[in-house]
Amino acid sequence: MELTELTMTLSCLAGPAGFEGPVGEYLASYLSPFADEVRTDVMGNVIAVKRCGKPGARTVMLDAHMDEIGFVVTGVEKGFLSIDTLGGVDLRMLPAKEVMVLTVPPLFGVIDTMPPHVLTEADKSKAIEKKNLRIDVGLTQEEAVSRVPIGTPVVYAAACGELGPDKIWGKALDDRACAAIILKAFEALSARELKVDLCCLVSTQEEVGMRGAAVAAAAVGPEEAIVVDVTHGRTPDGPEAPCECGRGAAIGVGPNMNPAMARRLKALAAEKNIPFQVEVIPGGRSGTNAAAIQIAREGVATALISLPLKYMHTPVEVVSRKDMQAVQALIEAYVEGLEG
Amino acid sequence: MLDTLETLCCLAGVTGGEDEVRDYILERVMPHADEVRTDSMGNLLVFKKGAVTPSRRIMLCAHMDEVGLIVTSITDEGYLRFAQAGGIDRRVLMGKRVSVGPDRLPGVIGVKAMHLTTAEQRKSLPEMKQMFIDIGAADRREAEKLAAPGDLVSFDENVVRFGDGMIKAKAIDDRTGCAVMVELLEGELPCDCWFAFTVQEEVGTRGATVAARSIQPEVALVLEGTTAADIPAAVGPDQVCRVGGGVVIPFMDRGTIYNRELWKTLTRLADENAIPWQTKTMIAGGTDGSAIQRSGTGAAVAAVSVAVRNIHSPASVAKISECEDQKKLAELFLREMAK
Repeated sequence: MELTELTMTLSCLAGPAGFEGPVGEYLASYLSPFADEVRTDVMGNVIAVKRCGKPGARTVMLDAHMDEIGFVVTGVEKGFLSIDTLGGVDLRMLPAKEVMVLTVPPLFGVIDTMPPHVLTEADKSKAIEKKNLRIDVGLTQEEAVSRVPIGTPVVYAAACGELGPDKIWGKALDDRACAAIILKAFEALSARELKVDLCCLVSTQEEVGMRGAAVAAAAVGPEEAIVVDVTHGRTPDGPEAPCECGRGAAIGVGPNMNPAMARRLKALAAEKNIPFQVEVIPGGRSGTNAAAIQIAREGVATALISLPLKYMHTPVEVVSRKDMQAVQALIEAYVEGLEG
Repeated sequence: MLDTLETLCCLAGVTGGEDEVRDYILERVMPHADEVRTDSMGNLLVFKKGAVTPSRRIMLCAHMDEVGLIVTSITDEGYLRFAQAGGIDRRVLMGKRVSVGPDRLPGVIGVKAMHLTTAEQRKSLPEMKQMFIDIGAADRREAEKLAAPGDLVSFDENVVRFGDGMIKAKAIDDRTGCAVMVELLEGELPCDCWFAFTVQEEVGTRGATVAARSIQPEVALVLEGTTAADIPAAVGPDQVCRVGGGVVIPFMDRGTIYNRELWKTLTRLADENAIPWQTKTMIAGGTDGSAIQRSGTGAAVAAVSVAVRNIHSPASVAKISECEDQKKLAELFLREMAK
């Protein structure tokens, strides 16, 4: 399966933070033909390892997270589901949004809207409040209570597509687009002669605080890690952002990133004509799994390669296919060039 | 009925650009009609003879247009600015997929990520003029090859059946009325009847204004979708009507005081035939009836509507059995008119 198709497939799977099960199963089965070992740990992290066969080889770990933002059912009122959020959900865009309630089998639903004639003028310009969120599943109170247990997770309904000559849109491209990239990079690298052991970590619960990556990094104990996540691409209504969709892989620079690794990534990208841009991240924590992985065990040399993405945490996230290819090419170039 | 409704909801017919809907309806009804014409505004007017010629000229009416957006300009960066075509609640726009122009170019209504907003911004909605459609163009030059100001923009065509006999689609308002009229035209009619498939209802019942002048009905039945607010946050009369509460037979809305005799006839017919019905508990909304009642020397007007949640949004929700009941009641009404 090629990169765009794999991205769209992963994007349409349902796996909000803490409920990544089906996504993890798909990832593990995708990775197993290329790995010496694939395991799923207690947090649901999927960890694939390809050994180079040299005794005492160093381990390089790739990371992307598999979870997405979503909701969780907190109650049933008059047949409608009340919900709370899982991760950072933009409440402004929820009225009339289509969702999947992850019962078995799942139930389709629509987040209800108060029609304008019942709203005050002021309310028409306000975001809905969390306590007023309800999902319409088209059921009576009795049916809804019997079919939807409290605690059931919910995600935006799966939908994705192409957008213009180079872009794709979908839900959960944060961070499934990057998961697809590291899967494809792992697949390609598994067929090549490497001087390091390669680990592919697809981690859970990033959206609620990098919980999965923290424990997986502790278990794997890599010498180096490359974290692959999305970063904000410029939008017309946004602030001047350093990164732009279509301009290539974003190489992170700052305290959260190992400077030697960042320098090497920039040099490799320049040498191999891989489009790249530099993303300066001034703080110690980048808002990605790099923050957790860098301080795992006795410390891990960590790099961050980001994929610029527009409209983060909406059902219509947008990324560039050229950027995705650039990120994949850069990862492969980096790992392939490592000495043992 | 359901297949017809689903097909009709998938067609693009944003107000002022109803061609796709009209073409489909025309193809369906042509073999069954005695007279068909399309007027200068795009209304499709169809006449079919029935078993008897009633003493009064009867017209059924449903509108083909739906609410949507219209592209107003293209930015240097290749994004599309837009305005509303028909009444749109801007709360339902952000983060939605749309189709732009006659070739249905895919687009999304993006908004800067919440991470980049202030706490204050997160509580309020951007104005529509600040919103934009992303069609994946790299710049103005690329965008101009794909889209142009004036292009109409419709919502996601995806139709879903869910819950207890529910349907989710765009444009249930008023493809349900169109579906009912198409299916009535395909059967035998109890009496002669005109069918007006109108344009531009959503921008002020403009199509019906001229359609009614042209047909000059004495009795008109408007088949509509109407707003339902039967959600937990709305209580009592604020709910207006309920999905699952039966077909809606309104006595009055903001444009029409419906003919009392016809209202009584419809409610009696519903009762006699065990068709669940309700009326609206709030004087809200309007229909083509407001134009028809005052056309020419006036007409007696009634309406039978389907209750629709999230009505002017891409995810409107209705109960399938109530669309079917709308057809049943319209048919009973024609039988009554034949007497």
